[in-house]
Amino acid sequence: MSQLVPAIGFGLITASILAIAAVGFTLQFSVTNILNLAYGDVMTASAFAAYIANHAGVDIWLSLLMAALFGAVFSMLLNRFVYFQFVRRGTRLFGMIIVTIAMSLIIQNVLLAVFRPTFFSYEVSASASYTFAGMILTGSQLAIMGIAVVAMVSVHLLSTRTRLGKAMRATATNPGLARSCGVATDRVIDVAWLLSGALCGIAGVVLVLNTATFSEVTGANFLVPIIAAAVLGGIGQPYGAMLGAVTIGLASEVAASVINPSYKDVVAFAILIVVLLVRPQGILSEVASGKEVAA
Amino acid sequence: MSDAMQFYLSTLLIYLFIDVMGVLGLNLQFGVAGIINFAYIVFVAVGAYTAAVVSLGPDFPGNFQHYLFGASWPFPLPILAAGAASGVLSLVVGLISLRRLRSDYQAMVMLVLSLIATLTATNATGLVNGPAGLANVPQPLFDQLGLPPLEYQWVYAIWAGLLTALTFLFVRGITNSPLGRTLRAMRDNDRAAAALGKNITALRLLIFVVGGVIAGISGAVFVEFIQAWSPGSWLYPETFVFLAAIIVGGSANNWGAVVGALLVPVGFLEATRFLPQDFNLFGRHVVLFSGLVDALQWVAVGLLILVFLWFRPQGLFPERPGRFTPRAAIASAGKGE
Repeated sequence: MSQLVPAIGFGLITASILAIAAVGFTLQFSVTNILNLAYGDVMTASAFAAYIANHAGVDIWLSLLMAALFGAVFSMLLNRFVYFQFVRRGTRLFGMIIVTIAMSLIIQNVLLAVFRPTFFSYEVSASASYTFAGMILTGSQLAIMGIAVVAMVSVHLLSTRTRLGKAMRATATNPGLARSCGVATDRVIDVAWLLSGALCGIAGVVLVLNTATFSEVTGANFLVPIIAAAVLGGIGQPYGAMLGAVTIGLASEVAASVINPSYKDVVAFAILIVVLLVRPQGILSEVASGKEVAA
Repeated sequence: MSDAMQFYLSTLLIYLFIDVMGVLGLNLQFGVAGIINFAYIVFVAVGAYTAAVVSLGPDFPGNFQHYLFGASWPFPLPILAAGAASGVLSLVVGLISLRRLRSDYQAMVMLVLSLIATLTATNATGLVNGPAGLANVPQPLFDQLGLPPLEYQWVYAIWAGLLTALTFLFVRGITNSPLGRTLRAMRDNDRAAAALGKNITALRLLIFVVGGVIAGISGAVFVEFIQAWSPGSWLYPETFVFLAAIIVGGSANNWGAVVGALLVPVGFLEATRFLPQDFNLFGRHVVLFSGLVDALQWVAVGLLILVFLWFRPQGLFPERPGRFTPRAAIASAGKGE
């Protein structure tokens, strides 16, 4: 029991990071129907962008914003110059997965070649730690949770209260019909990549803030829980991804403290498998299932 | 030819045979049947581990490495056990993931499976000795043959070549048979194939298992040659080397798979392994940090995939259109005018 309470605290932090990442992942997938397996590597690239800014003397929280900007622009360009080109050439759903994995290999190893195989960390001023009901959390961990809450509320408000959000949901449901109704789907898709990239960038930096060190594979290693959270919530559904993130985050941290820390990701995988076994129809009966690829 | 050169060439030849075997298995799954198996390397790994533990002898306290189920089975058994183990694993994984999932979810599950398998093999140290992996795997019939190492190496190359030839004939037997046509029909339009009464799930499962067995055998032949196997040898990008070989060589073309294996894993990765780590460039002494060549290799593999998907998605040797005479045509020809 004494182990459980701190584990829940860690779980909430993991859930926060996961929520930011998984919502970004699933948002872009729902609008464009491209399963972007280079997502984790864009996270790492953004973390490196923040690292460069941070070590040039920029405050870490400002670096976080710069990483979000970097992630947004990088994702959009990645789509414009690579993914969209392949889609326009007629590469199908499965071909696109290979393209995203090829990009993942390229981004990851270019980072490795540029930054060399070692571990990196940010310069963060030490902050006080706070104790809540037996959970000990540092200032930056509380900030991570705050960022997650703000990000989730923003995504919610954006998709329900703005014309842009409506346009995005319309494009996600039926791109052809949305186009016929006067939605500028090309621009909506650009915005989806920007938004997903910004969340991806934020997730990359907060992930590193929480784990303290990172290398060129940090983001790619985090892809498993992201996918698990997205699939658990029903891929393409932002609210589902939030719920999935909380479940996976709590479950994996509790399991880590009760069983063995190295099996954190195995828990995520087990949940993924169980979801697929128990509710494959929940995943199948998806709005996206019959949809063509819209880059 | 000097002994060193002979060693190098025979090693390269054995690698080529093993890679051809591996690529043929994945080509059957991916190229012919359209099954997305991003965890292919896991089945190679399971074959390798199985062959290793059944030939290493029983584990004992104080052993420098620990593993489950140690035995010292005689020569052909480890390879058969490897094929069987990978086949059984394929069946289990296939039953879970091939059922009714969309192809992109399947891809995702397979990728995750590959990551998790590495994680488990690394962390569960009692299973197959964790991150250090297994070493000192005995080479088959080394003592019985009593050959000097170099000659043994050539014998092993012939043995690997023989197995590869058998695999090739077996795979070609499948692709040229009515079963092969059914598989291609399923790949191109699974609903139409199902409407014609083909059991899509059973066919997918069958090919998944057959490909898994081939992967396992190739892993066994590999580990019995290099005598060591660790989680670092089968990280998930290795599957994409095979996939790149298929895309370059030509999907659903068996000769394409052979050429792809020759070009990508052997020509591309093995040949660059011996690039100098320091050299003079325009009068300046350049020292590469360790890992740079590896990193650039992976970048190149990624670029190779993209370039081929862009310029020549059918590969160097495209799939040959099936030659068949429709029954209606035969019937009308038989009737005369």
